[in-house]
Amino acid sequence: MLRRALPLLVLAVLLTLAGCPKPTDTTTTPTDLPKDPTKTETAPPAGEVYDIAVVPKGTAYSFWKVVKAGAEAAGKEFGGKIEWTGPAEETDVARQVSIIENAISKKVDAIVMAACDAKALAPKVKAAMDAGIPVITIDSGIATDDALSFVATDNVKGAREGTEKLIELIGGKGRIGAIPFIKGAATSDMREEGFNEAVKGNPTVEAVEPLYSQGDAAKAMKAAENMMTANPDLKGIFAANEPGAIGAAQAIKQRGKAGEVKLVAFDAADAEINALKDGVIQALVVQDPFKMGYEGVRLAIEAIQGKQVDKRVDTGVTLVTMDNFNDPAIQELLFPQIEE
Amino acid sequence: MRDLAADAAKPPGARLAGAMRLVLDKAGPAAGLVLLFLYFGLSTAGFFTKDNLIYMALQIAVVALLAIGETFIIVAGGIDLSVGSVLALSGVTTALLLTHDTPVALAILAGIGVGALCGLINGLLTTQAGLPPFIVTLGMMGICRGLAKIWTDAQNIDVSGSPTFTRLGSERVLADWVPIPVLALIVVALISFFILRFTALGRYCYAMGSNKEAARLSGVNVKAYTTVVFVICGLLSGLAGVVQAARVGIGQPTGGMGYELDGIAAAVIGGASLMGGVGTISGTILGALIMAVLRSGCDLKGVSPHLQDVVIGGVIVLAVLVDRIRQR
Repeated sequence: MLRRALPLLVLAVLLTLAGCPKPTDTTTTPTDLPKDPTKTETAPPAGEVYDIAVVPKGTAYSFWKVVKAGAEAAGKEFGGKIEWTGPAEETDVARQVSIIENAISKKVDAIVMAACDAKALAPKVKAAMDAGIPVITIDSGIATDDALSFVATDNVKGAREGTEKLIELIGGKGRIGAIPFIKGAATSDMREEGFNEAVKGNPTVEAVEPLYSQGDAAKAMKAAENMMTANPDLKGIFAANEPGAIGAAQAIKQRGKAGEVKLVAFDAADAEINALKDGVIQALVVQDPFKMGYEGVRLAIEAIQGKQVDKRVDTGVTLVTMDNFNDPAIQELLFPQIEE
Repeated sequence: MRDLAADAAKPPGARLAGAMRLVLDKAGPAAGLVLLFLYFGLSTAGFFTKDNLIYMALQIAVVALLAIGETFIIVAGGIDLSVGSVLALSGVTTALLLTHDTPVALAILAGIGVGALCGLINGLLTTQAGLPPFIVTLGMMGICRGLAKIWTDAQNIDVSGSPTFTRLGSERVLADWVPIPVLALIVVALISFFILRFTALGRYCYAMGSNKEAARLSGVNVKAYTTVVFVICGLLSGLAGVVQAARVGIGQPTGGMGYELDGIAAAVIGGASLMGGVGTISGTILGALIMAVLRSGCDLKGVSPHLQDVVIGGVIVLAVLVDRIRQR
C-alpha cells in the first residue's frame, strides 16, 4: 500500500521543493488592519523603542552578519529594537514573502529588507506601506518604487569598477568571464551589466559566456572549471559574490593557475580574504554592509518619526588589493568590530 | 533484475536469456551516454581533453556517492530524502573540527560518523517505530540542515588553513590521472557492486524490496537488514560531505541543497524502480554520468541554466518511460 503511494509522495515533495506558489492568506488583508495612531502618526514619547523587522535575503553568508551589526548599532543609537529574521537561502523567495507577511500582521513599526526577488516582494512592500508600516529596502531593491528608500551599493558601478581593475590586471587585452549568481535576481543582473559595460568600454577585451553559481560554492566551482575548459585562453574571472568567489578561487587553485588566471570578486568573506592573501584573488570589490544595515535602520526610524528620507542612498564600494590591505580604514572595512 | 537470484537454478538456456536481458537493460542508458559523449565531444572544443574528463569525474564524485547510497535504499524498497542535508552536516562537522586543530584523519572519521549516525537513526525509526522512510528521512532532512546551520551560526567554515585536508579534494594519484575523490568513488562503487550482487545483504535488499512480507516469512531479518541499509546510505552521505568540503575548501551549511533529488534521479535513470526490488550500482553510475555529462556539456556550450533544468528533467522522465515500454 505504502509502496504504491510512494511515487505520489515523491511527486508531492518534488513539487514542494520546486517552490509551488502557496495560496495567500486572505484572512488579514493588510489594508483592513486598524492603524495604531500612537505608533505611526504622532511623535513618540522620549525613550520609546520601535520594533523594526530587519529581513535579509539569506543568513548563510558573513555579509549579512555585518548588515545585522550595522542595523543593531543604529537601533541602539536611535531607539530601535531589531527583529532579525530571514530565509536561510537567498533563493527561498516564498519563505521571505511569508516573513514579510508575518511582520505586517505583527504590526512592527518599520521594515528594513533586502528583497530575494524584485518582483515577488514588490506587492508585499506595497501591502506594508498601505498598512502604515514604512519600508526601507537595502542591498537588493524591488521592481516598483513603493519603498520609501533604497540603501545599497550601486551594483552596476561597483561591478564596472571591479571589472576595470580586472582588465588592468590582465594587461588590457584578452578574454574574461563573469560568474554571476542567479539570472533574474536584481543584484546579480546589475553586476553582470556592470561587467558588460566595462568590457564594452575596452575593445581589446572580449567576454565569454557567463556561467551562474546559483549562490552555491560547489556549483560555482563547476562553473569556473567549465569556463576554463571551454576557454583555455581565459585571462580572468569576475565573480559576482561570495560563493562565486570561493568556488572560482578553488577551481583556479586546483588547476595550478593562481595568478595566471586573474580573479576579481565581490565581497570579503574569510575565505575570500585568505584567497587574496594567497594570491589566488587579486582584488576584492568590497561593499559596506555595515553602512547598509546602519543607514537602513536610521532612515526607518526617521520615517516612523515622520521625517522626509532620501529615495536613494549609495553606500559605495572599495577596491581592496594587497597594496592597500593593511591601511587602517581597509582593515576596519574588512574586519568590522561586531559586538555579539 | 527481480529474478536474478532464481537465475542460477534455471537451465543454461534461460540463464543466457537472463544475461541478454541484463545487457539490454543497460543498453539504453549506455547508448545514451555514448551519444551524449560523441555529441558534446565533437561539437565542443576542449571536451575530450584529459583535464575536462578528470574535472567531469570530479564533478560527479559527490552526487554519485549519494546515488550509490540511495540505490541500496531504493532497491530495498525505501527512499532517503535526507542525504543532501546529511552531506552538509557531515561537511561542517569535519570543517569545524579542523578549525579546532583536530587531526585530519579524526575530523574525517567524525564527519563520516555523523553521517552513519543519521543513517542509524533513520533506520531505527523506520524499523523499530514502524514509520514510513519517506517521513522519517523528510524529518531528518530538516533536522540535519538546521543543525548544520546552528553549529556554524549559518556561516561557511573556511578549511583552507588545513592544506592536508584540501589536498585530499584535488590531488591526483595513479600517474596523475585519478583525483582522490574519484578514487574513493571507484572503490566505493566496486565494494557496493560486490555487496549488492554477491552477498546475503545484497540479495536480501532485492528480496525485501520486491516483497517485504515474503522476505520476512522466508526468515530474512527484515528489521536488521533495513537498518544496515540506512546506515550504509548515511555513511556514504557523510563521505560525500567530507569529499565536498575538501574539494570546495569550505564546510557549507547550505551545501548539498537538492542533491537528494540528483541522487534519486541518477538511480532512476540507471534503471532503479521506486517501487523497490530493481536497481544496480552500474546502472546508477551510468545515470550519474549521464547527468554530469549533460550539465558539463551544456555549460561548455553556454546553454542557459534554465534550459539545462528543462533538459535534465526531460531526460529523467524519458529514461523511465523507455524502461516502462521495454518491460511491457
